Amino acid sequence: MAGTSAVPDALRALIDALLDGDHAAALAETRRLRQAGLPAETIVTAGLETAMSRLDDKCTVESFNLLEIMLVGRAVSAVVRELYPEGLPRDDRRGTLVVATLEGDVHDLGKNIVKMVLIGKGYRVVDLGRDCPIDTLVAATAREGARGVLISGLISTIVPQVRRVRTALRAHGLDAVWVVAGGAALKQFAAAELDVDYVAENAFDGARYIERRLEGEVP
Amino acid sequence: MPRLTVLVQGKPHVLSFRPGASLREILDRSDYRVRSACLGHGACGLCQVRLLSGEGGPHQPAEQFQLSASDLTEGKRLACQMRPTTDLTVEILNPPPPSGWRTPPEGLTYAPAGFAADRPPPPGVSHPVGAAVDLGTTHLSIAVHSLASGQRLAERWGKNPQGRFGSDVVTRLMAAQRPEVAEALAFAARHAIGEAIADVARREGLDCRAFSRVTVVGNTAMLALLADRNHHLLLQPAYWMAPLECTTIDGAAWAQAWGIARQAQIELVPPLGGFVGSDLIAGLVACRLTEGSAPALFIDFGTNSEIALWTGSDLWVTATAGGPAFESGAGSCGTPAEAGAVFRVAETADGGLAFRVLDDDCAHGLCGSGLVDLVACLRRRQRLDAKGRFAEGAKNFAFAVGEREFSLGLRDIDALQRAKAAVGAGIAALSAVAGLPLAALQRVVVAGLFGRYLDIANAQAIGLLPSVPVSHIELVGNTAAAGATALLLSTQAQAMANRLRQQAQLINLAHRPEFEDAFLEHLYLRPTEAS
Repeated sequence: MAGTSAVPDALRALIDALLDGDHAAALAETRRLRQAGLPAETIVTAGLETAMSRLDDKCTVESFNLLEIMLVGRAVSAVVRELYPEGLPRDDRRGTLVVATLEGDVHDLGKNIVKMVLIGKGYRVVDLGRDCPIDTLVAATAREGARGVLISGLISTIVPQVRRVRTALRAHGLDAVWVVAGGAALKQFAAAELDVDYVAENAFDGARYIERRLEGEVP
Repeated sequence: MPRLTVLVQGKPHVLSFRPGASLREILDRSDYRVRSACLGHGACGLCQVRLLSGEGGPHQPAEQFQLSASDLTEGKRLACQMRPTTDLTVEILNPPPPSGWRTPPEGLTYAPAGFAADRPPPPGVSHPVGAAVDLGTTHLSIAVHSLASGQRLAERWGKNPQGRFGSDVVTRLMAAQRPEVAEALAFAARHAIGEAIADVARREGLDCRAFSRVTVVGNTAMLALLADRNHHLLLQPAYWMAPLECTTIDGAAWAQAWGIARQAQIELVPPLGGFVGSDLIAGLVACRLTEGSAPALFIDFGTNSEIALWTGSDLWVTATAGGPAFESGAGSCGTPAEAGAVFRVAETADGGLAFRVLDDDCAHGLCGSGLVDLVACLRRRQRLDAKGRFAEGAKNFAFAVGEREFSLGLRDIDALQRAKAAVGAGIAALSAVAGLPLAALQRVVVAGLFGRYLDIANAQAIGLLPSVPVSHIELVGNTAAAGATALLLSTQAQAMANRLRQQAQLINLAHRPEFEDAFLEHLYLRPTEAS
């Protein structure tokens, strides 16, 4: 993924707008760059991924609040939609992960942020969208050979649904799949309460957990 | 306000009070109750105190009857007969055993006006009394009334003991999936209602067997857990909008366990549907939200906040869970709005902060209203930005109240932002679905303990309340308890509740696409445009 150095000057304004969570400015800057002839792929790798990795670096030293992360997520989503109206091209350098917002909850900004972060880190991400029944989640996990499932929840009534995920995966022999939960409604719970492997403080924290599992740091 | 110093086992505790109440009434709200066994007219003689300094007023006839001449010269008084108006110090001579029940804070509970006590009491009970119960997620409150005259006899409030199973409804519902935990949860709530009734009977000199009607309102989860009925269905999305049968109980067994009249009517008022409970219906009855054509908004702030919007012809309601920041403050320095809570924070002319503490001199935390004040003060001074970050990258704001030091952290601010956003987005969703701009509101009724102590200007400054003219905003206290009282006593209130049930249209926020953008918008600590 793109490092924090060697950022083309042309992309600096875009990165600043993204990190400020100013989605209008980020969109305007994206359109300007496209008109100037910059390929969409460069904007993603040198612009979006750089902004994401900077946010990630800051997240390790000081906690970001929900609003700031949601703002950046909204700006990044807007830029991606602008660049790829049909959806992001797939990339499976580092394995497959499934992201979803569960049945009963149609709010998927949190899930979209995790998706951006994971794509930025080079995973293939299967997005099951919002209001996703657990059966669909399990079937997709099996079909796509996913290593982990990441669930985001904005509404606290979704908690019981989250608790069913692991049992449903096990019932289909998917015991080895990691389950990570995050989002406004879920992060106040302990992993044991939700029956998940990890409750992420934010999208970056969740992605880092997946990274640690892949590198075998967490058994 | 004058100050009352209470000596308990040699240790002084300072309370402030409003002149007019008896010393017993003042102490009944605090952690330092006196013994008693009558309604406070001097009949039992148990509420003895010694006046150590200050003015207690002339001895009343009941004191001359209950106390000896030497008692009187030693400064002994009956707390129920003294109405102090200036600073004084008293010693409680015969403290009662510890109890979790208190008189609710001043101004929190009330009996709504205009509802005639015309529901006939069950036959065969002499001097029948009834209890209106508001079973909240955090607190339980009861109001005891004569069923003959409608007169209010006593009130109590205390913690909902289910709190030890988790502070929010979802955690308790999940815990209740194990049948033995469900039983324990039901027992805890039922037992607490019985205890509160017994506390009233004992301390007010009433016969337990005179209790012949108990009317209970609560949010859906609380009622389902109390009755131990169908609470598992609330965990399924299909039931988030549907009516839930959760009010069928074995009344005779409950009456026996509580030691009240055998033929007592025990009524659990059915919830509206989904997570919107009968506490909301009771609240709307109490404030008569739907009478008249003026557009009105009702917000009952709590761990589970309930919101209703009346357009003048249509009633839209929803429930939204934003965490405990309103009821218990936030994080390390949070506390419920009880004795020792900082409930008001104001800026002083010299640039400092002034703190007001509820019913005690020793602060032990910041409750929801204090948190709102402090955050608004920090915003005005630009110590905190609209996104919830401290100036110059600070990690916290340290402050001292008396000798206690507190630290307000970024996490605490984030918790307030999330609770605020859940309510703000709920209001926005109702406004959108009803097609009613918030600027059209003629009334904004703010209910709940948190609302009781709220500073309106500060709440508007951080966007917790819509920016309508201050004169449109009513801070009304516990409307659920007031409405339960009306339902206990009045056929008119019962008819009104039935009408509301027909009218109310339930909105499930989980399926409102505008919720997410509104949630983000309301995370900001800045005024909401009343557009």
